[in-house]
Amino acid sequence: MNAAQAGTKLALLNKLSCSIFGNIYNPQGFRTGNKILRARLVGPTINSYYPNVKMIKPREISRMAPEMNLIDQAEKTRLEDLAERKKRGKGPPKKGQGRRSTLKKK
Amino acid sequence: MPRARIIRDLKARATVASSEVVRQAFRYLTHNTTLPAKVRAQAQLQLNAFPRDARPAAIHNRCLETGRGRGVLRVFRLSRFQFRVKALEGELPGVKKSTW
Repeated sequence: MNAAQAGTKLALLNKLSCSIFGNIYNPQGFRTGNKILRARLVGPTINSYYPNVKMIKPREISRMAPEMNLIDQAEKTRLEDLAERKKRGKGPPKKGQGRRSTLKKK
Repeated sequence: MPRARIIRDLKARATVASSEVVRQAFRYLTHNTTLPAKVRAQAQLQLNAFPRDARPAAIHNRCLETGRGRGVLRVFRLSRFQFRVKALEGELPGVKKSTW
């Protein structure tokens, strides 16, 4: 038996063993991307880096428990500022009084 | 209360975890050279359409105490100074100061 025959026999053997053991026969070594499918999923590890912190915003607390009558200081200040601006005539223009609509009329 | 950078990182981690399976499937398609070029190109386009946070490279281990992104010891998840402080206080089991 010469070398070429031995080579083909080995290839056949390889193919047969692949079919028996459920492996993929890929003698040319093409990149099939199987290593991506084989890789484990890192999502759970990645997600568990920080201890379980639940971010609760003050607004959510007041929404969950309206009977507590909590004051959202930032929102309160914002509304007060808005009222102040409106008193000085700096509030939003009425419909048809804005810059755009006056431009169109001219 | 977590720092702003930690919150950003948390968001990225959630995105990576949720899109991982689909992303890996597309990555398999692009990496498989036995598939037709058109399929692979389309898979690549799909990959590009994911948000930036979906890439595992978008996440960065941060210090649990301070949110510092550099000099973080992976095992303790603390930056080097917080590690020192906690170790000297005896809050890290099995860690003790030594000289040689």
